[in-house]
Amino acid sequence: MNLSQIVQDLGFLTPEILLTGLILLAIIYDLFLTKETSIRTGYLAIAGMAIVLFSLFAQNVEASQGLFNQMVAYDGYARYFKIIITLATILVMWMSFQNDELKNRTIGEYYQLMLVLVFGMFFLVSATNMLSIYLSLEIVSIMSYLLAGYLKENLRSNESAIKYVVFGGVSSGIMLYGISLIYGLTGSLNIYEIQASLAANAAISPALLMLAFVLVFVGFGYKIAAVPFHFWTPDVYEGAPATITAFLSVAPKAAGFAVLLRFLNTTLTLSGDPNNIALESLSNLDWPTLLAGVSAITMTVGNVVALQQTNIKRMLAYSSIAHAGYMLMGVVVMHHNGVSAILYYAGIYTLMNLGAFFVAIYIKNAFNTETISDYTGLGYKAPMIGIAMAVFMFSLTGLPPTGGFVAKFYLFRGLVGVGDTFIWLAIVGLINGVVSLYYYLRVLYFMYFKEMNFPDVYHRAPLQFNILIVIIIIPLLFGWMIGDPLSTWTASATSFFVP
Amino acid sequence: MADLIFWLFWGLTVASASIVAFSKNLIYAVFSLLGTFIGVAAMYIFLNADFVAVTQIVIYVGGILVLLIFGIMLTNRITQTVISESSFQKMFGLTVVFAVLIMVLIPVLGHTWTNGEPMAFQETIHQIGTLLFTDYILLFEVASILLLGALIGAATLARKER
Amino acid sequence: MITVALLILLLPLLSFAIQIFFRKFIESKNGEWISIGIQLTTLGLAFYLFAVMIGHYDPHFRIEENVTWFNLGNFSLEMGILIDNISVIMLLVVALISSLVHIYSTEYMKGDIRFSRYYGFLGIFTFSMNGIVLANNFFMIYVFWELVGLSSYLLIGHWWEKNSAADASKKAFITNRVGDIGMFMGLMIIMTVLGTLNYQGVYTGIASGEWEGGIGTLFGGANPHTLLTWAGILLFMGAVGKSAQFPLHIWLPDAMEGPTPVSALIHAATMVAAGVYLTVRIFPILTPDAMATVAFIGGVTAFYAATIAITQNDIKKVLAYSTVSQLGYMIMALGTGAYVAGFFHLITHAMFKAGLFLASGSVIHAMHHALHDIKDHDTDAQDMRNMGGLKSKMPYTYLIFIVASLSISGIPFFSGFLSKDAILAGSWAYASTAHEGWLASMHMAWILPFFGFGAAVITAFYMFRLIFMTFFGESKRPDIFEKMHESPKAMTVPLMILAALSLFFFYTIPSINPFSTHGWFSHVIENPGTVVNFGSTFNLEHFEHANHEAHMPAMILSLIVATLGIGFATLVYLLKKVSAESLASKLGVLYKGSFNKWYMDEFYINGIIRPFLKGCDAVALFDMEYYDHYLINGAGRNTKKVSSGVGVADDLIVDGAVNFSGYIFQWLGWSLKFIQTGRIQNYLIFALIGVVAVFLLNAF
Repeated sequence: MNLSQIVQDLGFLTPEILLTGLILLAIIYDLFLTKETSIRTGYLAIAGMAIVLFSLFAQNVEASQGLFNQMVAYDGYARYFKIIITLATILVMWMSFQNDELKNRTIGEYYQLMLVLVFGMFFLVSATNMLSIYLSLEIVSIMSYLLAGYLKENLRSNESAIKYVVFGGVSSGIMLYGISLIYGLTGSLNIYEIQASLAANAAISPALLMLAFVLVFVGFGYKIAAVPFHFWTPDVYEGAPATITAFLSVAPKAAGFAVLLRFLNTTLTLSGDPNNIALESLSNLDWPTLLAGVSAITMTVGNVVALQQTNIKRMLAYSSIAHAGYMLMGVVVMHHNGVSAILYYAGIYTLMNLGAFFVAIYIKNAFNTETISDYTGLGYKAPMIGIAMAVFMFSLTGLPPTGGFVAKFYLFRGLVGVGDTFIWLAIVGLINGVVSLYYYLRVLYFMYFKEMNFPDVYHRAPLQFNILIVIIIIPLLFGWMIGDPLSTWTASATSFFVP
Repeated sequence: MADLIFWLFWGLTVASASIVAFSKNLIYAVFSLLGTFIGVAAMYIFLNADFVAVTQIVIYVGGILVLLIFGIMLTNRITQTVISESSFQKMFGLTVVFAVLIMVLIPVLGHTWTNGEPMAFQETIHQIGTLLFTDYILLFEVASILLLGALIGAATLARKER
Repeated sequence: MITVALLILLLPLLSFAIQIFFRKFIESKNGEWISIGIQLTTLGLAFYLFAVMIGHYDPHFRIEENVTWFNLGNFSLEMGILIDNISVIMLLVVALISSLVHIYSTEYMKGDIRFSRYYGFLGIFTFSMNGIVLANNFFMIYVFWELVGLSSYLLIGHWWEKNSAADASKKAFITNRVGDIGMFMGLMIIMTVLGTLNYQGVYTGIASGEWEGGIGTLFGGANPHTLLTWAGILLFMGAVGKSAQFPLHIWLPDAMEGPTPVSALIHAATMVAAGVYLTVRIFPILTPDAMATVAFIGGVTAFYAATIAITQNDIKKVLAYSTVSQLGYMIMALGTGAYVAGFFHLITHAMFKAGLFLASGSVIHAMHHALHDIKDHDTDAQDMRNMGGLKSKMPYTYLIFIVASLSISGIPFFSGFLSKDAILAGSWAYASTAHEGWLASMHMAWILPFFGFGAAVITAFYMFRLIFMTFFGESKRPDIFEKMHESPKAMTVPLMILAALSLFFFYTIPSINPFSTHGWFSHVIENPGTVVNFGSTFNLEHFEHANHEAHMPAMILSLIVATLGIGFATLVYLLKKVSAESLASKLGVLYKGSFNKWYMDEFYINGIIRPFLKGCDAVALFDMEYYDHYLINGAGRNTKKVSSGVGVADDLIVDGAVNFSGYIFQWLGWSLKFIQTGRIQNYLIFALIGVVAVFLLNAF
């Protein structure tokens, strides 16, 4: 690495540099604001994120690159996830303006921390070195702790943050131990060199390799909330500010999947080239079977516990665990179709889960309840809210004609398409789909089929909120029709950087 | 001789770490941490990592530990506070920890690790400096953003709502 | 071209939106003229397309545009527009009759309580009908198929306060669904084997042998030919429903509960012809067995419906059964391979039957006003027994009735003569050449010409029976008669246009030989033959040859039977040489059977619907007593019990295995909830156990 190389590589990091500038600007700008005006930092952040989004679209990813001595990759795959993350951030920031929990307090740091979190995720999805993976994972984690505990005077928020810190700290420690084992085995932290070394050295005992992998997977599993590393999820989701819960359930999860998939398909395969249509795992490490088991347990636990929830936020928290299980189905297929299915699912899931959370937040603000059984008659009282919730619930269940159906369809197709090995997992997935139907539609049952429980006044949601919801619903309902732009896009986004 | 010293420091690290974990008195715990840090620094020296060893002492002992002690001294009556070291599910916990230990030990000990050539000592500061500003420049900068974020967070948590 | 077609498709939808959303304005400010304007615009555009088509004067003229609607992996659905000779002619017919009906309705529906809604529904109907015509694949046609079904349902039930109207609309919808299920199954077979539903894709797929090599084990073992036969017959089932073919014809006569202009537009000229249109589109893929089925059903319908029409007294019911019978002709023509004749009859029939319906509407309209004037609310305005001698009161209507009836009876110089004659010749040719298909054995195919000519006699008879009963003789109700008068211009002018279009030369230009179908129509529409090139196939050359031979005898015979029918009607109803009553009593059983529509409705009610409902009751009982009681409520009860700490095993035994699966999930969720203790220490321990478990399970 010399100076000219550094300067040249920096040219590929425009969105990240813009984001850094935005963080600094937000900090400085916030110094001039009072408690009442601190919301302006949010406006600044949302405008800045729009520019970042624009710069992401402007990137030309035809020629993928390894940057800074292959610390991070510049490729279509990373860009796709960065775009999803940016979109989710913009939507959540927009919703944050309307979240009553965040009213009447100094709010500038909330947005600054979110921006840093986004910065971490940007590096996480493009990391190609164990060091950069770990570092960006830490940024994401630490910022998440801080945001989960943002409501300082709220005991639940505090508790959730502390639990999050402890659980996250332990997971990251275990992961670090796994990384050190891998370093000891291969003598490198670069994932491509690790792959070359592992593929060349078949003499490593499967048990040791499995140990190293399992330990590393603890870190990833904690980030994507896979069972049994999901325990923090319900408590944190319930305690954190609702908008942050929505954010944590989509963006860091998507980023976690991005880095997990890159790590698995690059480092732990025989060819080391994730752009191949079909891949094979290392001969002495059968991680697909392991992850298939994790996937089955994750979706089952998520769904089954969600059945019992009466609080909408907890219900959505468990359902997000189940969705992580579904997405893991795409990881185990080791096929081009699996990768594009995960990309597709990540996009759709971001929209539908954010939508469901936003409606729940709105109901909490307007009607002061988070209990599902208190939603009686809401479908008639506030039709817009009812219809929106119906669309999101249908989509989360995976019923046509919503994007959720198509996304799930792709996952199952990927799974069934590679042969009989994982048919059992597809069956488990289908049964889980049926189970999830029960608790998702229960929300609608209360909204529409129970007698009215609210005063008989027509409730009209503010325009700002309606626009936000419509923006989310339209791609969900129509994004997959008329040429299916999202699937074309995901198919093109499956290009990984390979040295 | 070197082996004896190594095992001494090993003992120091483990023993003081145990006190940190099991002590009911906060002050004792914090001071035991000192032993752990010094033991770990010694490990680094055995690895010829002089810079890391010194940094370990300067940052952890000189910075973090002192900060912890200040924190304890400035907090009212914390010295008398008995930490709730509840002993529920002790056996359960021990079993699991033991299982994890076995799980790690068996494969790790079963592997024939390649031993590097013993190297003569050479100072690492120069190399570290060069690497930090060439190969690892990006991570160096990313880490600074992490610290910046942590700083904002710390300020947020510490600030009183007006 | 595609833009023009899209405009034709979408403009009526605009009309619908305007009528529905600006109702107050429409009803106060003569807003129906907005819809009429829009409709006339589409008529103009349709004329433009027609001119372009005639300009090409090419049987293979064809423009197609496709967009992908959505992809699901390898499965994709497309939407597209197909403009060829058939669709252009159909568009013109739809636009023309729709425009005329729009204008006619301004008077007929004046003062109706749901006036703007009526126009709105006309708009959405026209939109859907245009969609059927312009579709370039079977899936899209299916979508619009359901849409016309919906608009038909809405329009039949326009006066839903009347129980009979509400029932009729339901009957129409449900009966159509029966056919549509078959159609959908046909679609799925084709989609499964060929992976496409585009017309051209399907034709080439079969022609190129893709079907023969495809999966073909649904029926008849591994024989792809049998599967193709089934695909054809199942698709045709859609046509059976929509075109009111035997045995699903029962809805069409009841559909006369709708306003008469609607009957003219939907239930005579266009929507019911959609089934024939679909059969035209599937014609190339029909195997000889499927064709025989189509021909047989068409023949039976033609004859059977005609026999019912003889005895009906309701003026619209006569026309309704006549429509069913004529649709049977078209279907039979397509089944016998007389492709051009079938489509030709669709067009000519659309004109004269719309004319007949609108003319009958004119009579009914006048009757209504007369009854209203004498404050008689009990007399049926549609019963022919209350009419008679209207010739002098309603000269225009009378004239139009005569022209259209001559056309439908098959008298030379009228369009109906040409098309019906071609169909009869086709059935004759089929009978004399049919070597393939199940009708071929034992000369069974001769039943088709028998049905055809038989129906022709009866058609001529009942049409003139209608005319004589309505317009001739003396009025049976002088009190009404005195108040009757001719309908206003907005009603008679469309009638005259339609009557004019029943003359032969509109269809034979540049030739003006009244006995030959040669002309522009027979030039641009060409029998495509079959694409089935394996197993037994339909031989187009043989057929055309035989058709040529049969032409002359068929024509002579058809002239004879038409004269016979008219003559007999004259004897009975005009000259009264033979008493209708004594005939009826002599024919006894036959008369009663015909009068009661051969008890088809009773058969459905007692043979199918009642037993089915009984079965439903039994299932419902089971549902309430067992399923609800144990499974649904049981799950709720269990949760309650579990949470109040009652033992788990007890519940399992008490509530049995029925609710086991639902219960097991509830229980699992309930018990897993306890792992989520809220203590971070526990979380960590469980996570570590998980790590160890995952490791142990996979490493060894």
